[in-house]
Amino acid sequence: MASSAQTTAATVSGVQVQHGTHIDTIESVDAVFREQRKLSFTYGVIFFAVTLAIPAFSVWWEGWYANPVWGGFTLNYLFVSLLYYVFLWGLSYTYIKKADALDERLSHMADEIAAATAVNVAGGE
Amino acid sequence: MGNLNVIAIIMVIGLTVFTVGLAIFVRRFTRTTADFYLAGRKVGTIANASAISGDYLSAASFLGVAAAVYASGLDGVWYAAGFAGGFIVVVLFIASALRRFGEYTVADFAYGRFGSDRIRLVTVVMVLLTSLFYMAPQMYGAGTTWTVLVGAGLFGLSPYNTGVIIVGLIIMFYVMVGGMKGTTLNQIFQFWWLWTAMFLVCVFAFFAGNFSYPKALNEVTHEQHRDVKTATVAELTADDGAMLAAAESAMSPEAFESVQEVVDAGDPEATAGVLLPAKNKLHTLREMFFNEPGHRYDAFNQFSMVLALVLGTAGLPHILNRYYTNPSGSAARRSTFWVLVFIGTFYILAPIAGLAGRQIIDNAWRAGTAPINAAYVDGLLLKSDAIMPTLAQILGGEWLMGAVAAGAFAAMFSTTGGLLIAAASAIGHDVYEKYVNPDAPELRKVFVGKASVLFFALVALGIGLGIPAVGLDKAYPALIAMMVTWAFAVGAGAFVPMLLTGIWWKQTTERGAIAGMLVGGLGSFFFIIMNILKQLGNLPAEGTLSFLGSLTFPTLFTFPAALLTIIVVSKLDGQLPKNVDEIWMRIHGTAHERHEREMGTDKVGTMFSSGGH
Repeated sequence: MASSAQTTAATVSGVQVQHGTHIDTIESVDAVFREQRKLSFTYGVIFFAVTLAIPAFSVWWEGWYANPVWGGFTLNYLFVSLLYYVFLWGLSYTYIKKADALDERLSHMADEIAAATAVNVAGGE
Repeated sequence: MGNLNVIAIIMVIGLTVFTVGLAIFVRRFTRTTADFYLAGRKVGTIANASAISGDYLSAASFLGVAAAVYASGLDGVWYAAGFAGGFIVVVLFIASALRRFGEYTVADFAYGRFGSDRIRLVTVVMVLLTSLFYMAPQMYGAGTTWTVLVGAGLFGLSPYNTGVIIVGLIIMFYVMVGGMKGTTLNQIFQFWWLWTAMFLVCVFAFFAGNFSYPKALNEVTHEQHRDVKTATVAELTADDGAMLAAAESAMSPEAFESVQEVVDAGDPEATAGVLLPAKNKLHTLREMFFNEPGHRYDAFNQFSMVLALVLGTAGLPHILNRYYTNPSGSAARRSTFWVLVFIGTFYILAPIAGLAGRQIIDNAWRAGTAPINAAYVDGLLLKSDAIMPTLAQILGGEWLMGAVAAGAFAAMFSTTGGLLIAAASAIGHDVYEKYVNPDAPELRKVFVGKASVLFFALVALGIGLGIPAVGLDKAYPALIAMMVTWAFAVGAGAFVPMLLTGIWWKQTTERGAIAGMLVGGLGSFFFIIMNILKQLGNLPAEGTLSFLGSLTFPTLFTFPAALLTIIVVSKLDGQLPKNVDEIWMRIHGTAHERHEREMGTDKVGTMFSSGGH
């Protein structure tokens, strides 16, 4: 997260977008983008690791695909037909919460920038 | 022709009348292009999630997943899991950025991100290619469902052709009249109809059919998995009657008796339905059981299929276009979560129906109470795609069969409707409005959109009629699911690498993106055509051409190739748009959304007003 010193620097770079009283600068967007990218790609690695582990286990782990654990359910069948969805729901829910929180941080950062800009203008920049 | 399912036909007609009526009702609220293509950008989270789900759940999901499980056990269950998993890629990497960019179509995004007309046109071509690949199985599903449901043609046409033409004309009419608003409302209704139909089939299986999930899975696993095949006498008696001996080992003595009679008659071209022990393609030394992997896919295709399904979802233009109808990026993410809940529950139910069918249809056949419209071999359906209507009729009579038949048509209507909007927006919005007549009045633009719908509906109709003509229906045992996977492969190759790099890698250049789209999209197209040629017997059995035609799922090659192409060409090119920082802020910034929130214009409005933007 950018400090107030960083946000002040951002306003003087000249690259900013303003809608009404709300401002994005390239530096503030870049800072949050990096965190958004970290979040998305971390979740992406978890998603692909789990998703590709299923066929990997199907190929190489007999206890996964051949041994029934509940009635006719093998671990493989149980995971693909039921538990995988619980994984998808949990992953997407926690991701959305964190992504929304990041948006809020960008919002606060932008407000700080707007306030700093107002001070600079008032001070005869 | 078998029994005419009068109640079922009435329910399908009722669904059709409602669909068309809703489109006519919404017509008065469709005045602008934003209304026609994006439903005024005022679709709420749950409504949009329902509409995306309706858009997404096609005939392949409603009829094909249960059928794939019925025929292939665990390998069939993967279709359900992979279809659902694809939305994680959408929510993690694409949904909110696409909405924040705030245009109409994927081609708009490509143009806005990379700033050239040629990338917009390349994207339009890829959108049309993907959409047509996806429309083909819907039209094929329409023909086959009509054949099962009605069993008769009109005006001298075959039942299949009648189904294709009637369904094609209905969809064309209601999309032209209702635009995205009408399509959205219809998709919401259609999704919940088909979800409920699937739910009812499972509820009836549990309560009327005394079905127990773990117990039934255990019971079907007690014996080796069997395949249904229609074989000629010549095939059965070749190699000292190896196939005939295998059929004798897999069939009941009574059922095998009828096969033996056909063989004894001596006509080598005569055919008989037989059951054969299934082979395990993954663990070749193991016998094949319903609850184990390996019925359809070897080790390579286990991975390749999973990647094709989870990446392909993020490359479907009619799904991506839906993200522009959200009021904000955050709402786009929330919509995706609810999509996962809605379709996830649906995909949990579909394999249950597939397994229940394996047990209940067999029991009904042995008791002599199975519906006579379907064909059976020793208790197994000859065509697994008939499982949903057959199971429904056994469990709940004509009413449940009617609900399922209407659900099948709802699935085709909703998906084809979304595809027509996507294809029409590619021509009407991306080409006509941008290049042919940018100053056209709003009503003229809407008219061009409707004309585009008409054109693409007729193209889809022609493709649907052409499928049996070229013998595709005989070349692939599960054609609906196969054709949908082709659309996924083209979308995954053409759009996903471009979108991922366009959103997440600032150094992506226009030349890199175009090169990647061409490599991924046309590469997938090439491998699919080669696979079709091989299945139709037009390629030699051995050699390079044969190898190129053997890739069932090309995504494992085309996706990394496209991604690598974008990176390498962009590095070599280095020509970034001059305003790349502004573009970057448009994708990842939220000032616009915060402004809308402050002004109260980010709220979900009513779709029953005109002129919204």
